[in-house]
Amino acid sequence: MYLQLQNLLPVYFEESKKQTSEIWGKDLQFEKGEMIKIVAPSGSGKTSLTHFIYGTRSDYTGSIAYNDSNIKQFSFENFAGWRKDHLSIVFQDLRLFSEQTVFENIDIKRQLNAFHTVEKIKEMAERLGIGKKLGAKAKTCSYGEQQRVAVIRALMQPFDFLILDEPFSHLDTINRQIAMELMMEEAKTRAATIILADLQRVDFFPYTKIFYL
Amino acid sequence: MLLVSVQMFINLDQLLNKVNERKNGFDFISISKKINDENQTIKSVFDTQEIKELQSKPFVDGVAPLIANEFRVHISAQGIFGTDLFLETLENEFIDTVPNSFQWTEGQMIVPLIISSDFLEAYNVFAPGNNLPQMSAETVTRLPIIIQCSGQGKQISMQGRIVAFSDRINSVLVPKSFLDWANQNLGEVSEHGATRLFIKTKDANNPDFLSYLDKKNYLINKDKTRLGRTKQTLQAVFSGLGVFGLLVVVMALMLFSFYLQLLIARSRDSLQLLLLLGYSPTWLSKNVSRQFIPVYILIVLSALALTQVLQWAFHHTVMYDRPELSSTVNWVVVLIAAGLIILSIVTNYRLVRKLLYKLY
Repeated sequence: MYLQLQNLLPVYFEESKKQTSEIWGKDLQFEKGEMIKIVAPSGSGKTSLTHFIYGTRSDYTGSIAYNDSNIKQFSFENFAGWRKDHLSIVFQDLRLFSEQTVFENIDIKRQLNAFHTVEKIKEMAERLGIGKKLGAKAKTCSYGEQQRVAVIRALMQPFDFLILDEPFSHLDTINRQIAMELMMEEAKTRAATIILADLQRVDFFPYTKIFYL
Repeated sequence: MLLVSVQMFINLDQLLNKVNERKNGFDFISISKKINDENQTIKSVFDTQEIKELQSKPFVDGVAPLIANEFRVHISAQGIFGTDLFLETLENEFIDTVPNSFQWTEGQMIVPLIISSDFLEAYNVFAPGNNLPQMSAETVTRLPIIIQCSGQGKQISMQGRIVAFSDRINSVLVPKSFLDWANQNLGEVSEHGATRLFIKTKDANNPDFLSYLDKKNYLINKDKTRLGRTKQTLQAVFSGLGVFGLLVVVMALMLFSFYLQLLIARSRDSLQLLLLLGYSPTWLSKNVSRQFIPVYILIVLSALALTQVLQWAFHHTVMYDRPELSSTVNWVVVLIAAGLIILSIVTNYRLVRKLLYKLY
């Protein structure tokens, strides 16, 4: 299982971006099990990149392929299957169901394709310090708590690639570390790749490759 | 509305088909051309092309012209009565009662006749008032009749004998061989043609048949086709109702599609998020549309139940439980109801899927 980026560039970026970036306009291949760190200052296209890889946006030139199959050829059903079995994501803007409880928000991913048991939800929530919030509506949680909900939700399914877009922006150092550890453990049990895109270097992410966007 | 019209259509059909069942399965009716002020100067006869056209129609099983005498005929019976009359001939196949004696060869002095039983009845009605003896059918068949034919300056006198009565044909029939011979020898008309045609058909009340005759301006025995006329009208009424019902169904489906669009627009964010998380559009469409299946089934079943109640009431109160009809709805109606359910489920599912794809 591998991910290939070839000569990728958002259509709204100038060609000159290719000269300064280590991702845009380059040919890259990420193998399963790698820990990829992408350091991206504001406005460098970090969120665009994660959306391109996850398949929610396609306004780019160049190509993205999983195992040599170009995702621009994917049908809606292909994408659905792919997201169910191989791709998981923590969005920068989290995307939770604000009217549902924390538990329901997490369980909805588990129901789609269960990698863990229901008990595991509680365990993870306790570990990240939101155990008491499981019954609360997502909209009543702080942004930091919502971020942790999104992290746990992403870990409920099987995946080969875990895409993280500024997952810790509203967490304190201790919680960042706990969340990172949890994700590393989960990635390990699946032998999966983590692609972490953030504004600055996250010191406790043991990356194998680092790119400046 | 749709279901009721279909049921009524079927009722009508069952009702009229039972009435029209014949022992031999055919109706025999005579047609002639309508004579009105405009065309009364022209000879209203059927030419061979018109006969051929009639024969080619699917609802016509046979056509035979009634050929009339082209000379003068006077009939008298032993001084009892005497009158100018007409003679006609028709292929034997079209006559309901043909005894073996209904034959004539040249030189034979006695001409067999088949007359309408109505004529005997009419005679017996006016006979007493005119000091004439009333007669039974048996007496009449024994009665020696003198037929005097004149034309082309010749006069031939023959003996006639009534051999049978016909309920079907309102005429005085002679064997074809006789009339051919007589027309040739005495006939004073150069143009031939039949003023009346006899048509053999499976169903004289067939609306196609009736509208064809109307179009051609042919005249037909009204009583025999009165049911057909009623059927024609009622069928038109129920067709109209059915079309209207269909229109309502289509409009209801459209309305429902607007409602669905609104519903999906309202939960657009949630659906979009579900798709984003990896829920497949097909799976989601199935689940969203599944919510409406009970509603559709309930609506159609209520309509079916209502149709059933109406049918029962119609059969019981209007039709006085006539055996031709059934108190329960016809299976075709049930089939249409099932079809409606399937149609609404399928259109609903496809619509939801289309809308979900748009969210992607």
